[in-house]
Amino acid sequence: MIDRLRRILRVARWETARAGGGVDRRTLLAALALLLVAGGVLGGGLAAGVVGLDVDRDVYRVAVDGDSPYADAVEEAPALTRVPVDGALLGDTADLVVFDGERGGAVETVAVRASDTRKGEAAAAEFREAVEAHNERLMAVEENRTAAFPITVTLQYIGRTSGLEEGSTLGGDDGGSGDSSGDAGGDSFGGGGDGDGSDDSGGDGSGLSEDDTADGDSEGDDGGFAVPSVGGAAFGADTVGSPGSISPPFPFVSLLLAFVFLVPMNFLIQAYGSSVLDERTNRRGEPLLVTPLSPVDIVAGKTLPYVALAAVVTTLIAVAVGGGALSVIAVLPVALTFLAATFVGAMFARSFKELTFVTVGVSVLLTTYAFVPAIFTNVTPVALVSPLTLVVFDLQGEAVSVGEVLFSTGPMTIGAALLFGLGLGVYREEDMFTQKPVGRKFLDALAVRLSAVGGPNWGGRSLRARLRALAPVAFLTACTIPFVFVAELLAVALLFALPVTVSIPVLLVTIAFIEELAKSIHLYAGFERGAFARTDRVAVAVGTASAVGFFLAEKATAVVQAVGLTELYVGRAAFGSVAGLEGLPPIAVAGLFVAPLLLHGFATTVAAVGASRSRTYYVLTLALATLIHAAYNFGVVRVYA
Amino acid sequence: MRNRDSRLTIAGRELSGLRAEKTILLAIAIQLFIAAFSSFLVVGLVSMYDPGSLGGAEVEVAGAGDAVSDLERAANEVGGASVTRYEDAGAARLAFDRNAADAVVVANRNDDGGISATVTAPDATVETTVIVVQLRDLLRTYERQERADRAASLSESPLPLPERTGTSPYFTFTYTVLIPVLVFLPVFISGSLVVDSITEEIDEGTFELLRVAPVTLGEIVDGKALAAVAIAPGQALLWLLLLRVNGTPVANVPSILVLMTALTTLVVALAIAISALAPDRRAAQFLYSIGVLVLFGGATAMAGGPANAVARLAIDSGDATTTALVVAYVGIAAVAYVGVRTLVAENGFEK
Repeated sequence: MIDRLRRILRVARWETARAGGGVDRRTLLAALALLLVAGGVLGGGLAAGVVGLDVDRDVYRVAVDGDSPYADAVEEAPALTRVPVDGALLGDTADLVVFDGERGGAVETVAVRASDTRKGEAAAAEFREAVEAHNERLMAVEENRTAAFPITVTLQYIGRTSGLEEGSTLGGDDGGSGDSSGDAGGDSFGGGGDGDGSDDSGGDGSGLSEDDTADGDSEGDDGGFAVPSVGGAAFGADTVGSPGSISPPFPFVSLLLAFVFLVPMNFLIQAYGSSVLDERTNRRGEPLLVTPLSPVDIVAGKTLPYVALAAVVTTLIAVAVGGGALSVIAVLPVALTFLAATFVGAMFARSFKELTFVTVGVSVLLTTYAFVPAIFTNVTPVALVSPLTLVVFDLQGEAVSVGEVLFSTGPMTIGAALLFGLGLGVYREEDMFTQKPVGRKFLDALAVRLSAVGGPNWGGRSLRARLRALAPVAFLTACTIPFVFVAELLAVALLFALPVTVSIPVLLVTIAFIEELAKSIHLYAGFERGAFARTDRVAVAVGTASAVGFFLAEKATAVVQAVGLTELYVGRAAFGSVAGLEGLPPIAVAGLFVAPLLLHGFATTVAAVGASRSRTYYVLTLALATLIHAAYNFGVVRVYA
Repeated sequence: MRNRDSRLTIAGRELSGLRAEKTILLAIAIQLFIAAFSSFLVVGLVSMYDPGSLGGAEVEVAGAGDAVSDLERAANEVGGASVTRYEDAGAARLAFDRNAADAVVVANRNDDGGISATVTAPDATVETTVIVVQLRDLLRTYERQERADRAASLSESPLPLPERTGTSPYFTFTYTVLIPVLVFLPVFISGSLVVDSITEEIDEGTFELLRVAPVTLGEIVDGKALAAVAIAPGQALLWLLLLRVNGTPVANVPSILVLMTALTTLVVALAIAISALAPDRRAAQFLYSIGVLVLFGGATAMAGGPANAVARLAIDSGDATTTALVVAYVGIAAVAYVGVRTLVAENGFEK
C-alpha cells in the first residue's frame, strides 16, 4: 500500500515537472502581461466612467419629451435609451411613448403607450422600475427624512412552529443563526428607530437584506438585475430600511460567487486533457506502460497534481470570497467530475480538435448541471442535487446538515469514480495508440470489465463459477444508475417546456429508452468483443443478470430514502416509485414490487437476444424493448392516475 | 487561380477532418442543449419568481399595530396582497403560525411621525420568494401613499408611476444574456480549432510536409482560417432559427451574423498569432483561453461591446451606432487578420 502510494507520488512528481515544462515561464509571463493590460484598460475605463457590466444597456427605446421630468429617469436607467417624441414610431423607432400630464409645474399623472409586443410590455415594466428608482434618488436628497422615507421595515424570516412546511424547511436551526443575523439586520438599519419592532418578536429573525449588507459592493453593480435598492452604501450611516431596499431571498451575489469556483475548472481540464492525450499521440505513453506501474497507478499519479491544484485554487477562492471549509468540500467533487469526464474524453478522442469539443461539451454540461439547480437554492430542496447549492448556503451563512452534504456530494463523487473506471478500461496499449471511433472505444471500455460467459469450457463449470461470471454484468448495470438518473433528469428538464400532452408520452418513451440502453449496451459490447458466446441461452442469462443488477440498484436508492438521508422531498420525487404504495393491499404491494423486476428481465432479455445476433438486430430489439418498457410505464401511470 | 485552389483544398481538408470525427455534431449538440435548457430555465424561473404568472396568487397578510388601516388602504391598490386586521401582534403571529396568514406586518407610528413596520415571512420555503416580492409591492405602495400624505414637507414630490403591466422578467434575460452567449460560443470554438489544428501539425511534424508542397505559408494559414471561420455563422444561424421556432423572434439576423463572423475572424487571427508564438499546444490553448477571456471580458465591459451590440440587434433596438459598431468590428477584424497573416507568412511558425 505504502509502496503503491510512493509509485503514485513518483508519477505525480513527473507529471508536475512535465506540465511545468509545457507551460513555461515565457507563457506565464505573456498571460500575466495580457491580464495586466486587461486590468489596466478596465481600471482606466472604470476611472473614465465608460465601463459598466450593463449587458442590457439601451435595449429599450423610450420616447419622452426632453423637458419632461421623466427624461431624467430614462437617462439614468441603463437599459433605457431616450428617443425624441417627434417622429417616434411605436414599434419601429420606439418601444414606449410617455405622455406626462403636467399641470402648473407639477406632474400629476402619467400615461404610457407601449407597442403591442412582449418587448413593449418589457419596456413598460422597465420604465416603471426606472421611475421608481428615480423617485428613490429624489427622496434620498430630501431634507425631511421622515417625509421622504415614512416607513422603516424590519424583515424577519421565521419558521412556523406548527404547520406543514416544517419538514421541508432548509437551512436547519432558526435559533442558532438568529443571533448573528439579527445583528446584521440591526446594522443595516442602524438609526432607523426600529428597535421596538424587533424586540417583541424575539431574537430568531434573520435581518433584512443579509446579502446586501454582507457584500457592500453588490449595491453598486446589481442595478441591472434587481430592482435598484437605495439602502446601504448610498448614504452611509443614517440608513433606513425603506420598503425599496427589501430584496427577496434570491441569492444573486452568492450565486455569482459560487460561479467563480467553476471558472478555474475550465483551465484545469484543458491542461489535464492535453496531458492525457499527449500520452496517446506519437506513442509517447508507451515507455510508461511497459514499466511495472499499473494503469491505475499511472492515471492516479497523473491526476493527483490536478486534484491538488483544484484544491489549492478552490481554497484560495473560498478565502477570497468568504467561504468556509464547506465550500471546498462541496466544490471538490465537482472538480473530480470535471477531471473524470475529461479523462474519459481524452481517452476516447482521436485528435486535439476532437478533444477541444469534448472539453467544451464537458464544461457546458457540468457547469449547467452544477449551476442551474443552485439558482433555486432558497426555493426548493431539489437544488441540493448540485454541490454548488452548498456553496451558496455556505456563503449565506446558513446551517447545513451532514445528510444534506452527503446527499449533495455523494452522487457526484461516485459518478467521478465510475467515469475514471470507464476510462481506465481503455488505458492499455491496443486502445491508447489506435485511431478507433469513439463508439468502438466505448464498447472496448465496457467489455474490459466483463468476464467470459458461455464458450467452450462453460459446460464444465460449477454453478457458483457461472454466477461469478455473471456478477460483473449485474454490477456494470448497477453502475449506470447515477448516469441514468442524470440523463432522466436532463430529459425531464429539456422536455419541460413542451405541452403536457406531448411531453408525457415523449418522456415515458425517452426514460424507457435510457433505461433499456443502460441495461443492454454492455451486453452488446460483450457479444461484439467476444466475451459472451453468441447463443440464446447466454443472451437470456446475461439479460437476466443485467435486469437483476438494475433492479437491485434502483431499490438501493429506495433504501437510501428509507434510511432517511433524504427526508427532503427531492427524495420522494426522485425515488418515489415506492412512496405512493401505502394503503394498498399487501398482495398488490408485492406484485408492484416484483412487477418491475419481471419487466426489466423480459425487456433486457429481448434486447440481449438481439445484441447476440448483430448490430442491426440489436437496434431493432432495443427499440422493441423500449416500447415494451414504455407501455408498462404508461400502464403504471394510468393505474396511479 | 492556383492560389485560390490550394487555399480551398486546405480548407476542405480541415473541414473533412471535422466531418470524419463528427465533432461538429457534438458542437451543435452542445448548443442545442444550451438552447433547450434555457427554455426550461426561462419557464421554470418565471413561474417561480414572477408571482403574476402564477395565476393571481394572492398573499394573505395578517396586519396589526396602530397604523394598520393605512396598510389596508395600500392593499386595496395592490392586486397581489390582502390584509386582514388582527387585534395585536401576538394574535397576528398566532394566525401566521396556524397557517391562516402567509406573512405578518405589524405597523406602528413612531414619535417622530414615521412608521415602523415589522414584517415576518416564513423561513426559506418554496413560497418565500413569492411572498416577499408581493410584500415589497405592498409596502412600496404603502410608502408611496404615506409620501403623498407628507408631500407638503417635501421639496420635490415623487413622479407618479405608470400603470403596472404584466411582463416576464426573463424576456430581457433572454435577449441580453442568452442570445449573446449562444452567438459567441461558436466564435470561441473556431479559434480553439485553429490553435489545435496548427499546434497539432507542428507537434506531429506534418507541418514540414505541408510546406514541401507547392503552397506558401500564407496560403496554409488562409486555408485553416477559412475553414474555421466558415463553420461559425452556420452554427449561430442554426440555433437562432431554433429560438425563433421556440417563440423568441430574433431581429436583424444578417447583421448579427456579419458581426459574429467578424469576431470569429478576429479571434482566429488571435489564435494564429498565439500558435505562432507558443507552438506547444498546452501553452497555446492556455494563452488562447486567457486572451479570449480578456478580449471579450474587456469588450463586454466597454460601452458598445459586442455582447450588447448583439443584444440590441436581436431585440430590434439597433440604431446608427450599432450599425457603425458592426462596420467597425468588420474593419478591426480585417486589419487584425491581414496583419497577423503578413507577420506569420514572413516569420513562419516557431519550432
